[in-house]
Amino acid sequence: MNKINSALHEMEHVSQMAEQNQWMNRIHPLVKFLLTLMYMIMVVSFDKYHLAGICSMAVYPLMIFLLGDISFGEALHRLRIVLPVVCIVGIFNPFFDREIVTYLGVPAFLGELLHLTPKDAGYVIGISGGVLSMLSLMVKGILTVLASYLLIVTTTIDKICYAMRMLHIPRAIVTQIMLIYRYVTVLLRETGRVIQAYELRSPGQKGIRIDAWGSLVGMLLLRSMDRADDVYASMCLRGFHGEFPAGAKIRMRGSDLVFLAVWAALFVLFRIFPVFQIVGQIFVSWG
Amino acid sequence: MSHIHIEVENVSFSYGKDCKILDNISFLAQEKDSIGIIGANGVGKSTLLKILVGLNPGFTGSVRVEEIPLTKSTLARIREKIGYVFQDSDSQLFMTNVYQDVAFAPRNYGLPEEEVRHRVDAALEQVHITHLKDRPIYQLSGGEKKLVSIATILSMMPDIILMDEPSVALDPKNRRNLIHVLNEFEHLKIIASHDLDFIWDTCGRTLLMAEGRIVADGPTEEILKDGELLERYGLELPLSLQER
Repeated sequence: MNKINSALHEMEHVSQMAEQNQWMNRIHPLVKFLLTLMYMIMVVSFDKYHLAGICSMAVYPLMIFLLGDISFGEALHRLRIVLPVVCIVGIFNPFFDREIVTYLGVPAFLGELLHLTPKDAGYVIGISGGVLSMLSLMVKGILTVLASYLLIVTTTIDKICYAMRMLHIPRAIVTQIMLIYRYVTVLLRETGRVIQAYELRSPGQKGIRIDAWGSLVGMLLLRSMDRADDVYASMCLRGFHGEFPAGAKIRMRGSDLVFLAVWAALFVLFRIFPVFQIVGQIFVSWG
Repeated sequence: MSHIHIEVENVSFSYGKDCKILDNISFLAQEKDSIGIIGANGVGKSTLLKILVGLNPGFTGSVRVEEIPLTKSTLARIREKIGYVFQDSDSQLFMTNVYQDVAFAPRNYGLPEEEVRHRVDAALEQVHITHLKDRPIYQLSGGEKKLVSIATILSMMPDIILMDEPSVALDPKNRRNLIHVLNEFEHLKIIASHDLDFIWDTCGRTLLMAEGRIVADGPTEEILKDGELLERYGLELPLSLQER
């Protein structure tokens, strides 16, 4: 199976996961959509040096992985291309921002236990603002990507669009999202076919020769446009008039509201109070 | 003339100036007719079907569906009456699972969800694929996709069904199943195919096309048994009629 077919298979697997009848999947799509949105805003709004606060927001994805019985390993595998990109966003920060803004050391009780004094080299390490902001950006990126991933593996695209319509996001935007989702599948399928046909006639060759790229991409564009035209014609023949039908109305249950309220409160709590820091201080003072 | 019918008069169609695809096509299809359109590759069978549902605008002549002339302003009304099954099921099926795809048309027509459910169940029942209701589309075999494609238009409850090469890529069992399903329908059916055995099994009347024109129109038995006529236009006797 070539890479395109495996990407298609991945997409199909993700939509199959979203269609499961799991507890997390049954939560009202609007609740999940709002929580994801709120979570992203909260994570992004943290100060660039507030790494501890940002890390405390990891509670949400971790809990959803557990509650939804979603494999963390699979998530990392699927996000293997996105996550490194997210991680290198702030890679140059340490070169520009060299001022020491915090210190990394061992807690006092551990220092005493190990017979260390503050004068000992390595007992306290200065951390520059650049390193801290780089780490913040990395964690922010990872957390927001994970939150989006959790939304799409527990909610079908139809339901996400349903939630968007409930929020009165303009029809044109919602329809575009639906159509792009369909077109990506069409494009991937056509790409898979073209590459397969090429590979079958190029035995022993690794990848696609550079001089074949032009015609392959051109052919691919024409074929995927033809296919997209057919799909669109099929939609029009079945009464499509610019908006995907909403489908059955999804009732908001009391438990959905409780889920929303509890997580929204936790987000606010983690955002306003440095919970991890407070817990750490309590821990240290006990020590 | 019966209430359900299609009247095609002097229809011609070309791509640009030189590439004439259809040349002065006329025929009348009436309620409960089952019409096969046959002909070699590239004679304009698919183009003709697409014209009947308004997918190929720019033709000359007139098409009337149940007395409604086919124009841009009447397209929506006409498409409610006609179900069109594409040659390639992958073009027809685009939702995430079978239920969603079959429910697409009734929902678009603004039917209440209870009625949508009822129609989906009835359509799946008609083509004997109730067990596939919740199956993701990509998990279906070619034959199953074809039956789901038919269900997607049956849920519209159309008066007329048009099918483009319905037997392509079907194994013998699925092909036989499809013939059985089509013969159960009471709609007006128009089937374009060069699978003459399929036409023999499903259609009572046949239009033979060549070079964009209808060169023969009559009972299927009469046309498909005429080996000389078929050979003249690049076809052969159906396999079931050939001596072995």
